[in-house]
Amino acid sequence: MLEAEVIQSRRGGFTRRKFIKGVIAAGATASAAGYLFRGSGVLAPMLSAQGAVERLVTLSINGQQRRVDVPKQETLAMTLRYQLGLTGTKLGCDRAECGACTVLIDGVTHYGCSILTHSVRGREVTSIEGLEQDGQLHPVQQAVIDEGGFQCAFCAPGFTMSMVGMLTKNPDPTREEAAHLLAGNLCRCGDYDKILNTAMRAAELSRSRA
Amino acid sequence: MEFLRRALNPWGEDVPIGVSWDLIWAAVIIGAIFVVGHALMVPKKVATGEIDEDEARGLPEKLQRHTPGARGFHWSMSIAMFALLITAFFPVVGIQFPWVTIHWIAGVLLILTVIYHIYHVFAKQDFWTMWIDRRDIAEGKQGLKAALGRPEGKRPRSGKYPVDQKMFHHAAMVVTLGAVVTGVLMMFRIENFLLPMNTYLFSDAAWGWVYVIHGVSGIGLIFLVIAHVYFAIRPEKRWMTWSMINGWIDRDRYLENHDPERWVVPEQGSAAELEASGGGGGQAAVSDRVRGEGP
Amino acid sequence: MAVIRDMIPPFELFQPAGVDDAVRLMEEHGDQGWVLAGGLDTFDWFKDRIKRPSAVIDLGGVDELRGISAGADGGFAIGAMTSLTTVAESADVMSAYPLLATAAVTVATPQIRNQGTLGGNIVQDTRCWYYRSGWPCYRAGGNICYAGTSRSMNREHCIMGASRCVAVNPSDTAPALVALDAEMVVASTSGERTYAATDFFIGPDLDIERMTVIEPGDLLTQIRLPAPWSGARHYFEKVRDRKSWDFSLASVASMLNVEGGVIRDARLVVNGIAPYPVRMGAAEAAVRGREPSDETGQMAGEIAVEGSRALRHNDYKIALTRNLVKRAIRDAA
Repeated sequence: MLEAEVIQSRRGGFTRRKFIKGVIAAGATASAAGYLFRGSGVLAPMLSAQGAVERLVTLSINGQQRRVDVPKQETLAMTLRYQLGLTGTKLGCDRAECGACTVLIDGVTHYGCSILTHSVRGREVTSIEGLEQDGQLHPVQQAVIDEGGFQCAFCAPGFTMSMVGMLTKNPDPTREEAAHLLAGNLCRCGDYDKILNTAMRAAELSRSRA
Repeated sequence: MEFLRRALNPWGEDVPIGVSWDLIWAAVIIGAIFVVGHALMVPKKVATGEIDEDEARGLPEKLQRHTPGARGFHWSMSIAMFALLITAFFPVVGIQFPWVTIHWIAGVLLILTVIYHIYHVFAKQDFWTMWIDRRDIAEGKQGLKAALGRPEGKRPRSGKYPVDQKMFHHAAMVVTLGAVVTGVLMMFRIENFLLPMNTYLFSDAAWGWVYVIHGVSGIGLIFLVIAHVYFAIRPEKRWMTWSMINGWIDRDRYLENHDPERWVVPEQGSAAELEASGGGGGQAAVSDRVRGEGP
Repeated sequence: MAVIRDMIPPFELFQPAGVDDAVRLMEEHGDQGWVLAGGLDTFDWFKDRIKRPSAVIDLGGVDELRGISAGADGGFAIGAMTSLTTVAESADVMSAYPLLATAAVTVATPQIRNQGTLGGNIVQDTRCWYYRSGWPCYRAGGNICYAGTSRSMNREHCIMGASRCVAVNPSDTAPALVALDAEMVVASTSGERTYAATDFFIGPDLDIERMTVIEPGDLLTQIRLPAPWSGARHYFEKVRDRKSWDFSLASVASMLNVEGGVIRDARLVVNGIAPYPVRMGAAEAAVRGREPSDETGQMAGEIAVEGSRALRHNDYKIALTRNLVKRAIRDAA
């Protein structure tokens, strides 16, 4: 599905935005089907046991309070993409390996595919959609544009979030330090050199803005 | 409670992987019920009391029941058996220690004793001593009635081995051979210097049944060992237990419990001679020959 | 590994606020319960549908399990739920136990260190992919080892400590903690127990289905570190195929107490070569009273690999271990 998304948008058969809407609908169907065909274990866990968490939660996402009905087993990346429509967060491997789903939780980078949505209640979640402030791009976003840092850019949202996390830790990294701090993200186009250029540019922009 | 443990192998086949360990507790509980039930229900056997003086004539005071070889076999096998049972089941029930090496070495010892036993039985003893024939069945029936409190006249005397001992022997033989044969195959799955490692000697399903048979045999042995030890310490059977230690029984026990027609003891010298010949006595002391039995 | 890109099968989720509640829930749910710490390993098991617990006990809200505090004896206690980033960047850890800080920073990736916990890193399960494929191997309760045969792909498996199962312990912090003489505090409904790090990790000869003494119902709550050796030297190196994310092929952790140019005491621990972090006792004894030189290191390396046995594809680990131990003596700083 995700690969199809990329291929389709490159072919230009759809506009990218229309296609993404389609993906949201398909995603919703897919997760609903997940519940319907799960076999005998389906119904019991849907009724909350005593002392268990409530499904209805209020999440703090990109500065907004969002009320969502979240299954216990749902990961944050799934909730962001398929319940809240925040599809900037990508799912690549879904195994905490590729970093495409990187988001900030209380300002620290996490893999959105490998944390339960119920674990982020009461914590501030920032996805790629939340970087832009009052119409002004985040320094990292600006650096991506300036440096043309990505080829296919499927990994871009994750890398961007990692760079934001990197800058809070080390506002003035060397290229090597940047590589170490961005080591949790993969680029299958192998564009690392340009990505590191972007990271260095982002640090520069961030310092000049501060 | 499930009888088998099953699993999906890499090819998606549902194969057995072993026997359910719940059966360990089943064996222990059945063993306990058997022991307690027997202890409560069955009265201590009333001794027949009278010794026929005619029969006693010419018999030594001590008669050999088990040769040193037979006793050596019995006790080495029992050491191996306890080592096997402890190393097999203690880790399963939560008492953990490195058990694999001890287990297979004890298994090899058990096999050696079994081989010796088979050789000894065919070469030195009379194979048919342990055979169950019509008279044993009659003896068993009467014994059962007596045990249930309905004695019919005088309990018949047995051959060298009472029928319950013969039955125990055969049950133990079946499960021990089951455990031994499967155990040898299982040695292909662990590192040892005797057999090469060959994990894929059989199909997964066939291996599964090897493990199941090994497990069932082992669990069967738990029950048999419980019953065996229980009888060994019963007061009215202790003379038999002693004979497995020192080799002999006294003349009165012999005449009381054994039919001289079925367990023939040739006339011989005095007990002193028996002692002199090394506790167990020479081959001449007691014969395993059984009159009128055999094929 | 099958990639199933849809929802994790449903489970009931509990978020206790204290250790007492957590262990009570764990006991209540028995082997149907699953303890969730950082979750980096957990969700792989769930997504692949190899582990299907009915109840997940999320420790994220148990604040008492987080944080680093100074102990009375000059040592430190680290809560099991303290993130690896916190451990690696703690000023206390960096000054008192630089070995642990160095080991923690080699774990996986920044995102994983931000979420993954020290406790989770210690008790994590092996990476043997035959086991992780969900097949009925010994470790999964079956009766076969797929990795130990002459036809297996076993480049990552063990060269010592095998007993039927040939999987290795994948933890990076475990060898450091063994070298630091750490103690693990384990809680359950029946109370608290403490284990020396060397006893905490167990091999398949003892229990083929576990890598540590932790049983269902047990919760690792704290890692206690004794006061550090003054002026100690340390060395940590993790060898892996890829410099990020990857698990170790072998790692070495050493602590050397050097006085007057001579090693007074030593801890040498190698992980990734056995089902548990191996403390090289004989090599430790042999280097005492000697200079931390290349020669001493060479000798220690030779002693360390004595008795090791390679599988079909992992004989390189013997040379690797020998050289890592050599460096751990020679290059300790």
